[in-house]
Amino acid sequence: MTAGNRILKDRVAHGGMLAMTIVGVLLVAVIAAGLYLKSRAVLDSTSLWTLLCGSEWRPMQGKFGFLPFLAGTLWVTMLSIALALPVSLLTALFLTEYARPVVRKCVFPLLDILAALPSVIYGVWGVLVVVPWISRRLAPLFVDFSTGYTVLAAGIVLGVMVVPLLVSLFIEVFSTIPKELREASLALGATRWQTAWKVVCRKTLPGIMASTVLAISRALGETIAVLMVCGCVIGIPRGVLEPCYPIPALIANNYGEMLSMPLYESALMFAALLLFAVVLVFNLASRIVLNRIGCDNS
Amino acid sequence: MAIEVQKLNVYIKGNHILKDVSLTLPERQITCIIGPSGCGKSTLLRTLNRLIDTTEGVRVEGKVLVDGTDIIGSGAEIIELRRKIGLVSQRPCPLPMSIFENVAYGCRINKMFKHRRQLVYHVQRKLKEVGLFDEIKGRMRAPATRLSIGQQQRLCLARSLAVQPEYILADEATSALDPISSKTVEDLFVSFKQQYTIVMVTHTLHQALRIADNVVFMYLGEVIETGPASDVFNHPQHELTQRYLSGIFS
Amino acid sequence: MKVSRLKRIRETLAKGMMWCSMLLVFGLLVSVIWTIFSKGMKAMSWDMLLKLPGGGFYIGKEGGFLNAIVGSLYIVGASTLLGLVVSVPVVFFLNVYLKKGSRLAYVARLAFDVLFGVPSIVYGAFGFTVMVYFGLRASLLGGIIVITLLIIPIFIRTMDEATRNFPRDILDASFALGATRWETLKVVVRQIAPGIATAALLSVGRAIGDAASVMFTAGYTDSIPTSLSQPAATLPLAVFFQLSSPIPEVVDRAYAAALVLTVTVLLISIVGRFITTRFSKNKV
Repeated sequence: MTAGNRILKDRVAHGGMLAMTIVGVLLVAVIAAGLYLKSRAVLDSTSLWTLLCGSEWRPMQGKFGFLPFLAGTLWVTMLSIALALPVSLLTALFLTEYARPVVRKCVFPLLDILAALPSVIYGVWGVLVVVPWISRRLAPLFVDFSTGYTVLAAGIVLGVMVVPLLVSLFIEVFSTIPKELREASLALGATRWQTAWKVVCRKTLPGIMASTVLAISRALGETIAVLMVCGCVIGIPRGVLEPCYPIPALIANNYGEMLSMPLYESALMFAALLLFAVVLVFNLASRIVLNRIGCDNS
Repeated sequence: MAIEVQKLNVYIKGNHILKDVSLTLPERQITCIIGPSGCGKSTLLRTLNRLIDTTEGVRVEGKVLVDGTDIIGSGAEIIELRRKIGLVSQRPCPLPMSIFENVAYGCRINKMFKHRRQLVYHVQRKLKEVGLFDEIKGRMRAPATRLSIGQQQRLCLARSLAVQPEYILADEATSALDPISSKTVEDLFVSFKQQYTIVMVTHTLHQALRIADNVVFMYLGEVIETGPASDVFNHPQHELTQRYLSGIFS
Repeated sequence: MKVSRLKRIRETLAKGMMWCSMLLVFGLLVSVIWTIFSKGMKAMSWDMLLKLPGGGFYIGKEGGFLNAIVGSLYIVGASTLLGLVVSVPVVFFLNVYLKKGSRLAYVARLAFDVLFGVPSIVYGAFGFTVMVYFGLRASLLGGIIVITLLIIPIFIRTMDEATRNFPRDILDASFALGATRWETLKVVVRQIAPGIATAALLSVGRAIGDAASVMFTAGYTDSIPTSLSQPAATLPLAVFFQLSSPIPEVVDRAYAAALVLTVTVLLISIVGRFITTRFSKNKV
């Protein structure tokens, strides 16, 4: 083969790969554009304000108020993060600051498994374990009757699902702290906990926040597991023991039947667009922070 | 107030790092530990305040007596011990806080003061002791990382002094600094020896010559020779010491 | 002394809390796995694995969920292959063709990070829109395309990580011998082979378990698809649909399907671990 030929091949490969990369990057824009085009119909018929803040949901009459679904999403996501954050933080601190390598070697595969289990499995677990527990044990303490399919159930299931993500992100963040810094603190007579809390956590605060935002965006979009335990009752939940109806569940549940009604389909696409936009912003922000800190894994 | 090391053996992941080290570090003097790199100087230093515990797969045997109590063994009050023994590391590593908070950190950790006024006064005094106060007056709230490397190292020194240690361990404390800062820090150590027992690992023989009262020469994990600086430098007994001092290997 | 006692109490307290949260996390893991196994084992039989749903399957009669197993295999296999074909060149491009600190590389990585975070329901909705646009119905092809989109970011991120620590010297050595960048691909691929394998396994794990995206795009059917345009059943959807049935026998099948899914994912996880620990040692 002549040199010219080889160089030509290299050039062609270069072009091809460049094209592929750019297509990949553009996919973000294409998804956004596609969803926007589809949701234009509903945006034309109803104002953005009514869509977001209206609580009337009557697709048959063309009334689309997303407030109950937004509230449901917010409740479930916040609850799950509130449950998962302390647990993940403590676990990650334990693994990086205390645990011996042997322990770490045993724990990491288990975390992997926790992360790898499909969401439908968590859904089954939620239906079999969490929901009955709430309905039989917890709820009777506070209210007369609850089916168990509640914000709380969804929050717990979702919380368990984001724990492995949070732990692995935190571990990544904590490992950017140089050993010397910990030793400087220890050498002053600080205990490990004082060092972990006042030096490690303080130094990595931006990273911790970015990881949390990332976890929130993951929790926002989780569909099947939440759908299985949230109760799917349209209404703004007033407490954790009430059912809710988050946006992903709405989309998943109504996809089949809406085809006959263009406006309904458009509304659901708008919901997807909303989800996409929020997740996009959260992801971008937290990734940029994490990249800057110098950890870019998982 | 002296440190006595008796038959100290340290293994890291099965490697014998310190072999039967026995020595006395006399009080209120500067003891320099010299020797070629990899000879276990830093390990020895890190054993003295039990920071060695944070190393993976470490096993320590023997005795280290600080003020007459053995610090190896699980019953030891490691936290109190570490307060009593200050450490200045090779690279200055300011904690992620302001200048003031860096010095105050140890005091807060050890709950040394009841009133904030006392704390502020204490921090200022320590910053004065290392000659940093005038340079940074009015910038006390600035992040410590804004300081120059030399200033950072003095800040770290002030931070160590703030918890009122009795001993200071310095691990090549001047090696990352420029010559002038290096000289400043060195002079500080000399001026501190009336109050503290100082143990210094150093990579430059000249520095040891300038400031050491006692010298410990280590080679491959063993203490080859130890004694007053004048003796060791002028009349080295061991052949290895002679060769090291004359610069045949370093 | 008093201070140090206070410190010690706090230290113990903190340590206790950490242990508790660790135990909680693994208690939950055990709970999940135990629930699936105990329920699934009871309902499991060869019929489940090897038979298609018979007549009256959904009221508790004869049959199994072979349709879902095969459907999942088709979709996962095809999309993993497709994903590999797309991702390897991109990763290679990012790491070999582009210089360190390149703007495009930064933007591209960021974009794939973001795509990685896009919820699968959004992929599903988007995929469905595209399919409608092209006049496609819920089909095997639709499922494959959407799952491919879903796993490409995983592929790229995982392989990129493996490649980023790729010793620059090896590249230089190859260039110094007069090889073009394209010809250096062989060297790189050999070097990051374990990384590719891990990425593939991760993607398979994610692809096989994802329900939200295939819900509208692949549809559901009782038979094994014989062409790309027919709908295909998938395991997660088999779990999901059967679990909501009022008939206990059908619900049992959901448990059995969940068990199959769990075991698959566990196997993938174990094999993945094995590959990373086994082969990363041989790397330069």
